[in-house]
Amino acid sequence: MATSSKQYKAIGEDLWKGRTEKINAELFAMTYGALVVQLIQDYEDYAEVNKQLEKMGYNIGTRLIEDFLARSNLGRCADFKETGEVIAKVGFKSFLNVTPTVTHSQPPPASPRSSTPASGQGQQQTAAATGSQPHFTLTLDENPLAEFVELPEEAIEGGLWFSNVLCGVLRGALEMVQIRVEAQFVSDVLRGDETTEIRVKLIKYLEEEVPVGDD
Amino acid sequence: MSHHLFLLSPSDTPLYSLTHFSAKPSQAAQSPLSANLPSWSTSAFAGTLTALSGASSVVQASTQGGGVRMGGGQDRHVIQMIANASLDVIEEVVRRDNGMYLKSVDKFNEWTVSAFVTPGNMKFVLLHEGKNDEGIRLFFSEVWELYVKTTLNPFHTAHSGIVSGVFDARVRASARKHL
Repeated sequence: MATSSKQYKAIGEDLWKGRTEKINAELFAMTYGALVVQLIQDYEDYAEVNKQLEKMGYNIGTRLIEDFLARSNLGRCADFKETGEVIAKVGFKSFLNVTPTVTHSQPPPASPRSSTPASGQGQQQTAAATGSQPHFTLTLDENPLAEFVELPEEAIEGGLWFSNVLCGVLRGALEMVQIRVEAQFVSDVLRGDETTEIRVKLIKYLEEEVPVGDD
Repeated sequence: MSHHLFLLSPSDTPLYSLTHFSAKPSQAAQSPLSANLPSWSTSAFAGTLTALSGASSVVQASTQGGGVRMGGGQDRHVIQMIANASLDVIEEVVRRDNGMYLKSVDKFNEWTVSAFVTPGNMKFVLLHEGKNDEGIRLFFSEVWELYVKTTLNPFHTAHSGIVSGVFDARVRASARKHL
């Protein structure tokens, strides 16, 4: 079903207005802020805090996707590009009431590199070169998690990504629909950058597997 | 005309202080004392020292190193003494008055002390020369708003010194606008 971007926007708007319980934004931001500060005090290592936030997000994401699919009733996305659109326009909108802008980037369709088996390894190694793996970038104009937050110097130098939980949520949610991705912050206004951006890169589509830990 | 702002926690710990030199012309001189100062002394310190001559040696000893600075420089110790002395008066007024803005609670030579007490018992103390009630009231309201926003920052520990650069810049801008 080829749903246009406008229709996704309408669905997202509709979900936000009608079918979700709301919570006070300040309470939400303060709770999350207290959480991050506590993690920093406990771990004292910003890279570790980033990892923990991502892990927490992963756990949230694995459960969130059920809720999301139940409410939105959307079918399978045709391609990764559509996945990005749905996440931005319906997902973020219905949970956080923000609509990040999506910028897609896909490998050229007739690329010889991606089809030659011999260079399969080379493709994995050049995954960092964005030409080979499809990815999209979400640009958040406003971040409800980071209201009133100002990072201290050590946090910026230590490499803290304040809203790293979002990356985990994306990874967890997509893994439950058989898509393995890597989600990372690229820039963050809290750290003095111009924009807040998350890059979501497709690693592979998963086959039906028994989940780890379930027998 | 210069202004000194102090933000004090409920336990009277100074959390933030700012000295602001106003470009606006000073209001009508309140105290004839300043007119009597010899022409070489432009600092309030000199005027205060004259009034305090013969007063406790503590003040003089502590202000010795300061000297007379040109261009309206004042000795820090005197300023802080005035601010501290006004705290008692502020407490009294708070018991009587219900509002937040306490207007001018104390006078010391040519320095007037205006105070603003927030519902969280934070005291904002402003030392200034001349009269500027409306401007000061607006300034205090803005500082209060900025203070609340800073307190909401999860990285700010309640009642600790305010180190935020953003807060500092905004308070200065507000001072330039209202004072």
